[in-house]
Amino acid sequence: MMEIAKALPTFILFSPLIGVAVILWLPRQKSQWIRMAGLLGTLPPLLFAFFLACQFNFTRGAVQFRQDLPWFSIPLGQQKWNFSYQVGVDGLSLPLLMMTAIIVVLAAIASFSIKKREKGYFLLFLLLEMGMLGVFVARNLFLFFIFFEVTLVTMFFLIGIWGLVNRERAANQFLLYNGAGSVLMLLGFIGLLTLFQTMDFDRLLGIMHDPQIMQMLAQNEMAQKVLMGAFLCISLAFAIKLPVFPFHTWMLKVHTEAPPPVVMIHSGILLKMGAYGLIRFGVELFPTQVKEIATILAVLGLINILIGAALAFVQKDLRRILAYSSVSHMGIILFGIASLNVAGLSGAVFQAVSHGFISALLFFFIGRLYERTRTTDITELGGLASPMPVMTGIFLVGGLALLGLPGLSGFISEFLAFLGLFHTQPIIAAVGTLGLVLAAVYTLRAVLTVGFGPTDTRWRELTDARWTETIPMLTMVGVILLIGVWPAVLGDPIQTTLEQIMARMGG
Amino acid sequence: MSDIAWLIPLFPLLAFLLLTMGARRFSDGVASLIASGAVLISAGLSVGVLIEKVSMVAPTTLRWRWLSLGDQSISFGVEVNQLNALMLVVVSVVSLLVHIYARGYMAGDRRVPAFYAYLSLFTFSMLGLVLSPNLLQLYVFWELVGVCSFLLIGFWYFKPEAKRAARKAFILTRIGDVGLFIAVILIFWQVGSFDWGPIFTAVEAGKVAPEMITLIALLIFVGAVGKSGQFPLHSWLPDAMEGPTPVSALIHAATMVAAGVYLVARAFPIFEASDIALDTVTYVGAFTAIFAASVGLVQHDIKRVLAWSTVSQLGYMMLALGSSGYVAGVFHLTTHASFKALLFLGAGAVITALHHEQDIRQMGGLWKTQRVVGWLFLLGCLAIAGIPPFSGFFSKEEILTAAWLDGRIDVFILGVITAFLTAFYMFRLFFLVFMGGKKAKVEETRVPRIMIWPIIVLALPTVGAGFLAWLPEHGFSHWLTEGTGIAAGPEGESPGWLPLLTVLISVVGIGLAWLRYGRGRVNSAQVEAEPAKEFSIHGLLSHAYYVDDLYRWVFVKPYRWISLALTWLDRYVIAGLVKGIGLLFQNLGRIGSTMQNGQAQTYALVSLLGLVILIMGLSAGRWFG
Repeated sequence: MMEIAKALPTFILFSPLIGVAVILWLPRQKSQWIRMAGLLGTLPPLLFAFFLACQFNFTRGAVQFRQDLPWFSIPLGQQKWNFSYQVGVDGLSLPLLMMTAIIVVLAAIASFSIKKREKGYFLLFLLLEMGMLGVFVARNLFLFFIFFEVTLVTMFFLIGIWGLVNRERAANQFLLYNGAGSVLMLLGFIGLLTLFQTMDFDRLLGIMHDPQIMQMLAQNEMAQKVLMGAFLCISLAFAIKLPVFPFHTWMLKVHTEAPPPVVMIHSGILLKMGAYGLIRFGVELFPTQVKEIATILAVLGLINILIGAALAFVQKDLRRILAYSSVSHMGIILFGIASLNVAGLSGAVFQAVSHGFISALLFFFIGRLYERTRTTDITELGGLASPMPVMTGIFLVGGLALLGLPGLSGFISEFLAFLGLFHTQPIIAAVGTLGLVLAAVYTLRAVLTVGFGPTDTRWRELTDARWTETIPMLTMVGVILLIGVWPAVLGDPIQTTLEQIMARMGG
Repeated sequence: MSDIAWLIPLFPLLAFLLLTMGARRFSDGVASLIASGAVLISAGLSVGVLIEKVSMVAPTTLRWRWLSLGDQSISFGVEVNQLNALMLVVVSVVSLLVHIYARGYMAGDRRVPAFYAYLSLFTFSMLGLVLSPNLLQLYVFWELVGVCSFLLIGFWYFKPEAKRAARKAFILTRIGDVGLFIAVILIFWQVGSFDWGPIFTAVEAGKVAPEMITLIALLIFVGAVGKSGQFPLHSWLPDAMEGPTPVSALIHAATMVAAGVYLVARAFPIFEASDIALDTVTYVGAFTAIFAASVGLVQHDIKRVLAWSTVSQLGYMMLALGSSGYVAGVFHLTTHASFKALLFLGAGAVITALHHEQDIRQMGGLWKTQRVVGWLFLLGCLAIAGIPPFSGFFSKEEILTAAWLDGRIDVFILGVITAFLTAFYMFRLFFLVFMGGKKAKVEETRVPRIMIWPIIVLALPTVGAGFLAWLPEHGFSHWLTEGTGIAAGPEGESPGWLPLLTVLISVVGIGLAWLRYGRGRVNSAQVEAEPAKEFSIHGLLSHAYYVDDLYRWVFVKPYRWISLALTWLDRYVIAGLVKGIGLLFQNLGRIGSTMQNGQAQTYALVSLLGLVILIMGLSAGRWFG
């Protein structure tokens, strides 16, 4: 039993492959079976993740469930590079891991609306899940990169084949940006590899926080440049993923063209890989370098918050409104990171998880709405509260969470991020609070236009939520409420790990 | 008793949860019983707590850990002191009466259970706000009452006006809330705690720089301005009258809008430490009082007259607090809650009798047919006009005394003029509705009993609450400030001529209203013709000084234009650049153009590029080794 517990991250990571195996074996025509297998295939990772959370020691900041197995080595001249399989979970990755496992199940339910080539869809879907889980458990740069690429490739096909009208262009842009990001990330990783001869994250951490080694490096101008270059490459890579303005064009396309369940995952989880990467590799690995760009990060955050909110205000398509609102909300993550203190950074992680669930909920709603109305243009919608009170009510709750209403998860993250940034950059933070008003402006515009007002005759006969819709939506509402009402459930593990990171940073 | 104060907000919360989960299963009657029963328990407990607090003033505190922040632990809990014990009773009793009243008023509505669910959520949030032992918790509930107000203003969601009013209320109060939000954060970094106790200690010990105290106090006040409909964030409150009348009575007259005043009173030691902050509170309050009263002179909607009157009276309370009249402000909050709730419920009875007619130009002569409502409404008018011995006389009296003793003669004069205007517009309303001939074309319906009884209950404090001021040895003000370190009001003896002046000025106001509207001289045609002249004082007043139009042209439209310009930039400049780069890539990797090969080629190219770099890097590493 203890042995199994030790290998839990590995179990979580590869358990989607069970579903993959089953689906491969099922004939293509049995679409109903494939759907069920796809849904059931998302359950093992969830169960394992819950099991891991139960076993997790919440008072320890360090990485737990660490596994280290030699994998392969590349001989180069006299030297040899050893690559290992290293995974583990700490207070930073646990919340994101749980979030991924939960949202994927709900997205699998939403995927029942996919009506073509189900076999391929669910295969890619489960592989995508494996990639995302891998990103959050990897403790090795090479391993991280591989899983990051897995998410890229699977997403590319999911958008390109099952998307809407302009899917090919969206997939293309997705690939262009993220491919560029991957190249940058790889460059950064290789920079580190050449300097320190290892891709083991935990060893790198030790090296980067070793005053002696750092002092030695400070003498070497070339090494300093490589280090800063690696840091900038890695940061830029994750900035594209987050996305930081002006690298957001690709994610607009994905939001509007990808099938709604895929957008749930994209907006809910994949963007958060940018946030996770920035904290894990930016803040944790490069404590000195990140301090130098803290102000820049805050300014970028401000730009994201304000421009995202302004653009969300005038869009007509519900999906575009939410896409720009994601840009705005990712600005809050940047705020939290830029503050470089426990309050702000935990705000960033809270925001990653909270926004994950909120945007998943909203895109679930949009998917179901589109199925009924065949439009997401808010100028055509209106008064939907009358034919579908439950659906609209849940949409309203999602909107209120989005604008940061206390009692729901969005408030905690915004509050902590602002709390953190006010300590270090009060002016930028003060200007940023304008975003709180603007968020209310665009959210209410969307929610009220869709739900309130007189009902168009076209929409009088719309059916309200079925239980297959109510249960997933209420699950998400439940999580959003839980975090909002009892934030310690998420805050305790995050903060123990963040405190350790901050202690290492020395301030 | 205070140990179980945490139960007070719990019951309305349970009612809310029950009603939300089983919305369709409950009949209207059962839903109203659940909600009213819950708030009845809360009201009973609140009265018990208040009675206990009369004899034992030491604050009681209970708390639970909510979230840790480093070595700081943020807690939630309840704290009972004199101020919030009083507020508990005001909130829960008015809420109870409104719950009962709404059974009659909302009869026949399609969504009665939803209405009661929102009402319960509001009552829970408002009680939670009042009981908050720290600023963060107060902020949380502050936002929750705001969202309940939003939901209830927009309760008739299918009406476009209701939708607009709900949105406006949310956004304007949100602007204020951001001020409070910043204040909460600044306080945490200055004091290291959100709790009132440590905050006051730090302020009094001079641990916080004076400029910082001023800034924090002003930011808190910004929050209060938004919530309490003070200038310049006032214009949502008259529009909020789109909500059902019981909601207007509870939220937009008696309780939530008074939360801003409550906040200033609760944070009073911070304000006392900054003269600039006190000045700001006084002048904003005084200006709002006279500004809103003047607009109230020309309104035609019965509820809008009362709404502008509420704005004006809240300004009065701010004026009192700014003039160091702590007790006067809180006292007026209490009396105003009773007589304004009475007036709104009375207005609701009139509206019901006239089949949802709200235009006072279409009313008249109701005294003959609605005698009980008429009497009750008259009591409310007399109270708000400041005629002795009704409650409003005493509290208004204390406010003007505070303003006089504080030495701001300009503020005092503004206060007196406002008192005159108040008497005038309230009796304009009264005479137009109840006197003169009948104008209603339809048959009046009988007002159900269940709507009359709550008004009668409210009439008791409307008449009697003023005598609190006459308790021996300043009993009320002594009790309210005991152990808080706050002065009851400015030092000095109140001048003997002051009550005479205020009564006189009110009587003149009533008299003028009688001359113009009471004797049946003004016929409806004349009143209707009033707003026709656009560029007159009358036009200025009936457009509320064009504040909304100003906001539309200075903030709303420019923001829209900027956003549209940004959209254009985003679509054509930023995306255009990307497209350029994209085309370059595509041409490089172009063999086919369909999904299955074209884009995959691009991907292969990128991967290849990555691999090349990987190998290059690996070999380059040897140079560093």
